[in-house]
Amino acid sequence: MRTAVIIPAFNESEALPAVLTELARTVPDHEVIVVDDGSTDKTAEVALSARVTCLRLPFNLGIGGALRLGFRHAAESGIDQAYQFDGDGQHDPSEIPGLLRSLDQADMVIGSRFLEETHQKYRVGISRRMAMALLRRLVLKVTGQAISDTSSGFRAFRRPVLELFAAEYPVEYMDSVEALLLLHRHGFRVSEVPVKMRERQGGRPSNRNLRLVYHFVRVLIVLAVGFGNRSPTGHLK
Amino acid sequence: MTSTAHLLIAILAVTAMLLIIRLVRLQALKAKYSVLWLTVGVVLAVAAAVPGILDWVADKVGVAYQPALFLLLGFGFLLLLAMHFSYELSRLETRVRSLAEDLALLRHRLDRKSTDSKQEEK
Repeated sequence: MRTAVIIPAFNESEALPAVLTELARTVPDHEVIVVDDGSTDKTAEVALSARVTCLRLPFNLGIGGALRLGFRHAAESGIDQAYQFDGDGQHDPSEIPGLLRSLDQADMVIGSRFLEETHQKYRVGISRRMAMALLRRLVLKVTGQAISDTSSGFRAFRRPVLELFAAEYPVEYMDSVEALLLLHRHGFRVSEVPVKMRERQGGRPSNRNLRLVYHFVRVLIVLAVGFGNRSPTGHLK
Repeated sequence: MTSTAHLLIAILAVTAMLLIIRLVRLQALKAKYSVLWLTVGVVLAVAAAVPGILDWVADKVGVAYQPALFLLLGFGFLLLLAMHFSYELSRLETRVRSLAEDLALLRHRLDRKSTDSKQEEK
């Protein structure tokens, strides 16, 4: 069983070394794939000097685009299961085994910050919290499944999902919401496990408010158009 | 409009068409886009050279004020054009993205090759 960890990284040279060291210690048999999303700092050098796979994009594609490349590489190199992991130190490697264990029952497992069992409260601003609540309601309405954390970046995938995502992973921001719809459309099962998250170890949060509003409206439109629409134009194969 | 104004517009339209043809010959403009602009040029030139035409069309479709018809058509045309460009842009974006992915994968393959050969040298 080959397991890969996909780390989308945009200017993460500060926090990435510690993340890679920690991963090498806790899950030494997992293949690390760092996707350098057009960073202007030493992210690629950090990854290469740690002797992990580093896919260097020529310019910034955004998180969705970087992930899609990671999925594509994983699928093409015969990986059986993979999980997405943040390069800024927010995610705790000790949660990985739990996440992977739940892949027995689902095709994608989300590490949720908002399930009740999580003791530590993850801090988010009021406007973001409201936006998230609305997205949750809409996802429930469209897919019929209650997902407590629609924007978690800590998720595990079985190979069939990797193959789907390699070609069709949504590339715009708020990709994770669209990904849920995509999985629903293809009849994949999604489940959640509670995880604790830490404060980011470096780098800055990547969104400004206006942009957030724009993308929020965009996702609302995607949700309204719903499922039943065809795959995006021009994807490979 | 005076006939001088009509003449002026006709000359402008013809000049624009000549410019478009020149751009195509210099391969600075794709022939497929030139078709569109040449059509616009012809319509403008004809409308300017034969002043009665616009009046006649306006009368047929029931528009009392002829310039309004002209502006309406122009506006509709520009809207369609903008939509077409959005469509082309989406398509290009998808292609550029695929190219970027391929480039990253090829770079990776190259990296691996060079580290492999370095290890062999040792």
